[in-house]
Amino acid sequence: MVRIKLVSLLAAIGLSLAGCGGGSSGGSSPPPPPPPPPPDTVSKAEAFQLLNQATFGATEAEAQQVIATGIEAWVDDQLQQPASLQLPYLRSLPRPQFLNELQPDRIDIWIRNVLTGDDQLRQRVAFALSEIMVVSQLSALNDLTYSLADYYDVLARNAFGNYRDLIEEVTLHPSMGIYLSMLGNEKPNAALNIRPDENYARELMQLFSIGLVELNIDGTQVVDNQGIPVPTYNQAIIEAFAHVYTGWHFAGAPGFQQAFGNDFNQTAPMQLYPDFHDTGEKVLLNGTVIPAGQTGDQDLADALDNIFNHPNVGPFIAIRLIQRLVTSNPSPGYVQRVATVFGDNGAGVRGDLAAVVRAILLDDEARPELPMEIDGKVKEPLLRLTQLWRAYNATSASGRFPFGAGLYFFGQGPLLSPSVFNFFSPFYAPPGEIRNMSLVAPELGIATEYQNTLVTNYMFYQAFVLTSEAIDLQPDDVFINIDEELAIAADTDALVSMVAEKLLAGQISQPLSDEIKGMVDRFAPTDAAARVGEVIYFISSSPEYAYQR
Amino acid sequence: MAAINRRQFLKAGGATAAFASYPGLAFAQGIGTSAPFPDYKALVCIFMFGGNDSYNMLVPSSGAEYNVYAASRQNLAIDQNDLLAINPLTSDGAQYGLHPSMSGLQSLFESNRLAVVNNVGPLIEPTTKDQFFNQSVVLPPQLFSHNDQQDQWHSLKGSVQSNTGWAGRVADLIRTNVADQQMATNASLFGNTLFQSADDTIAYVMGQQGPIPFLGFDDFPMSPEQRAAFEGVINANYSSIYERGFVEIQRRAVASADLVSGAIAGARQLTTQFPATQLGDQLRTVAQLIDVRDQLQMQRQVFFVAAGGFDSHDNQVQAQPGLLGGISEAMSAFYDATVEIGAADLVTSFTQSDFGRTLTSNGDGSDHGWGGNQLVMGDAVRGRELYGTYPRLEIDGPDDVTGGRMIPTTSADQYAATLAKWFGIPDTELAIVAPNIGNFAARDLGFML
Repeated sequence: MVRIKLVSLLAAIGLSLAGCGGGSSGGSSPPPPPPPPPPDTVSKAEAFQLLNQATFGATEAEAQQVIATGIEAWVDDQLQQPASLQLPYLRSLPRPQFLNELQPDRIDIWIRNVLTGDDQLRQRVAFALSEIMVVSQLSALNDLTYSLADYYDVLARNAFGNYRDLIEEVTLHPSMGIYLSMLGNEKPNAALNIRPDENYARELMQLFSIGLVELNIDGTQVVDNQGIPVPTYNQAIIEAFAHVYTGWHFAGAPGFQQAFGNDFNQTAPMQLYPDFHDTGEKVLLNGTVIPAGQTGDQDLADALDNIFNHPNVGPFIAIRLIQRLVTSNPSPGYVQRVATVFGDNGAGVRGDLAAVVRAILLDDEARPELPMEIDGKVKEPLLRLTQLWRAYNATSASGRFPFGAGLYFFGQGPLLSPSVFNFFSPFYAPPGEIRNMSLVAPELGIATEYQNTLVTNYMFYQAFVLTSEAIDLQPDDVFINIDEELAIAADTDALVSMVAEKLLAGQISQPLSDEIKGMVDRFAPTDAAARVGEVIYFISSSPEYAYQR
Repeated sequence: MAAINRRQFLKAGGATAAFASYPGLAFAQGIGTSAPFPDYKALVCIFMFGGNDSYNMLVPSSGAEYNVYAASRQNLAIDQNDLLAINPLTSDGAQYGLHPSMSGLQSLFESNRLAVVNNVGPLIEPTTKDQFFNQSVVLPPQLFSHNDQQDQWHSLKGSVQSNTGWAGRVADLIRTNVADQQMATNASLFGNTLFQSADDTIAYVMGQQGPIPFLGFDDFPMSPEQRAAFEGVINANYSSIYERGFVEIQRRAVASADLVSGAIAGARQLTTQFPATQLGDQLRTVAQLIDVRDQLQMQRQVFFVAAGGFDSHDNQVQAQPGLLGGISEAMSAFYDATVEIGAADLVTSFTQSDFGRTLTSNGDGSDHGWGGNQLVMGDAVRGRELYGTYPRLEIDGPDDVTGGRMIPTTSADQYAATLAKWFGIPDTELAIVAPNIGNFAARDLGFML
């Protein structure tokens, strides 16, 4: 516990130096980490807490790694890990006539990357970004599997890069072009009442970068003298950006036209077709004027700079990444600390996402010494599953994970959102005490009675049916390895303790433990699979497992 | 059907208590009497997510009006000869037709079962073009944004971010009048929605074909014990707000899954054929639940169902027949099913959507607008009429605030208040349901009998 304080103290010193105008390198990386602190113990519970924030689920082995190296060194090592990608794998498979047949393989490689990739933190941040800058297979993109995989790779490769580069790659990606209809967007034609498509112009600002209302650096809303939040933009500004985003279509197409199915141009950045770009003057955010007569590339660069430099981006991205990784309700101070790092990584660079992620994970508030009832978050349903799978070395006879049932049971999947508004809203507040305290719990937006039942039932399947003890599994059925549990299954206390260590760092509540032991003892000591099934089912479907501390 | 609540974790009244209030909150005011309603009524909200381009759903077909429409819509216009003619009992001088894919609803309109409310949308107060531009009226915040305008339709709250929806407030108001109901007044077949959320009540969310049972609670060697242990876990005390929020949902799920799925299993086999779509599935389930209303002791229900895909920025001409045809087929089937179960006069279906869309084209689609046309269906509807003023579909005309975004001529508050009044909310309480209703001359649009 002492070590956490030390880390954040160092971070604070770094911040204040940056605030004094330090920063000499001009590079995009944060300054080298300070020398390792004196060996100080990280508890297993702390290691699990970090790993559930920064990976697809804590495991005993990874926790030992954190304990051995310390939290800060573990994070810094993760920031160096190269990206596990999807597209190279999909390209290595025979190309089917219809690319939608590769969607199960896209799920497969996503699952393998997040279960076993060394770049756990990068994958976790990429997943978070995929829930902010949303594109979805549930659209025309169903037929463009290479494009979707490449979009995810863009997020993974840029997860620790610069946000300005990220939004440019996102903007010009054909998946985004199709999903939010910038692809094929053309200059006005007054005679036909045709004006530029506003879809991307609106959602890039509302959902990916600045949001609807002006924010203070601590994420609180700026209000006018009547207490009404101040909008960041109006319809005229959206229309101006819509004019900026004209003239782009598939790269290498013979003209400004569809070229669906071409393997090259569904992954290459969209290309400018100058004849279709509007070259008029555009008035953007904060009154910034793009002069008439610029090229489409110049317009785009200016427009993305205009958004990137809006003061909202720091707190906006800080809140969303903190919510995805650490807690639903960060304090204004936490948001401000992270947003400040977004503004300047300590080396004078704005938008350094590695520094932002580092600031999020090493903040005091990420693992407070005295947790409050509003700290932490509900785990996303899919992350409850990946944690279980990682903790139990899940695999399948085929070695593949084309887990088609995931969307049904968990209401989630990689690039499978029902709309650009993600699976759930960052503002979702369930009725009751959370709403009454003006707090939010975004993940509860999809935790309906119906979806919760499905998640619970899947855990039942997994614990009782889809295990290493099972017979008659299909080649692609993902099963968990319960051999260690089976070996001690006759000993109720030891069994419960073993599963609780793997899934809860041993922090199991008395009521849960009592209920489980009561159930397990109903089965004969020789009925090993049922006894193990009960323990894994009850813990993996429990409120305390659904809660990320 | 297995018994509910073996642990009696929410005492008193079985499943009803699962929707009970949160301690410490003031109860809603109520409607002045706690007497049970003598009858049954259901409202079915059919939400078209994404923003339905409803000026292609109801189109002026007479010469002068069609020409204005066609000039504005250009490559998005429906051919005049393809429109399905309707003959409202009261004429505003123009003639109108429905989108060619909506033959089912054309028949219902002509047989007095369907009405259209013209150009309705979120407003705080009556708004003219001049007032819009000189900012002399209060406007709903974040016009033209999906989630914000969905929230406006759902909440009717106006300029402040709101916590409750109008169906939720209706449920709060009548809670003592429906005390024997075994299900919550609000049920959703399409996920959580602000529309049905309020301080004292909460919607029950089921799947498109109803709830599903918990594995192991009924078909396992240790079923009773399994269920009891599970309830023991979710009824324990938890120290974080997130665990407590999570177990609230689990408790409702456990309490109601058997009750509701058992009831649906007992509904009659409907001979009405529903389209094999998500909306068709949802509306079939709603019809089944209405069929077993007496068994569940239901007196008032608000169902939320939805279809997606209406955000037609792209390929609108190709997509609209499927979108609007899907609405027409599912609604027609649902009407037939309400006839089959003898509830056509007890059930009123109505549409809502994020917003109407721009009359202008972005090349191959339309963008986010404001006012739009909505449908109301059922035997309690004064059908074969168009309500409210159809706007002039002219670019830069008197109803356009740019690009063919129509200023609503009827407010969503008026629309909701008319439905809520039929549902049993007295005039004195309508402002709780529709907070801006006092700003408009007509509190009742007259489309309900």
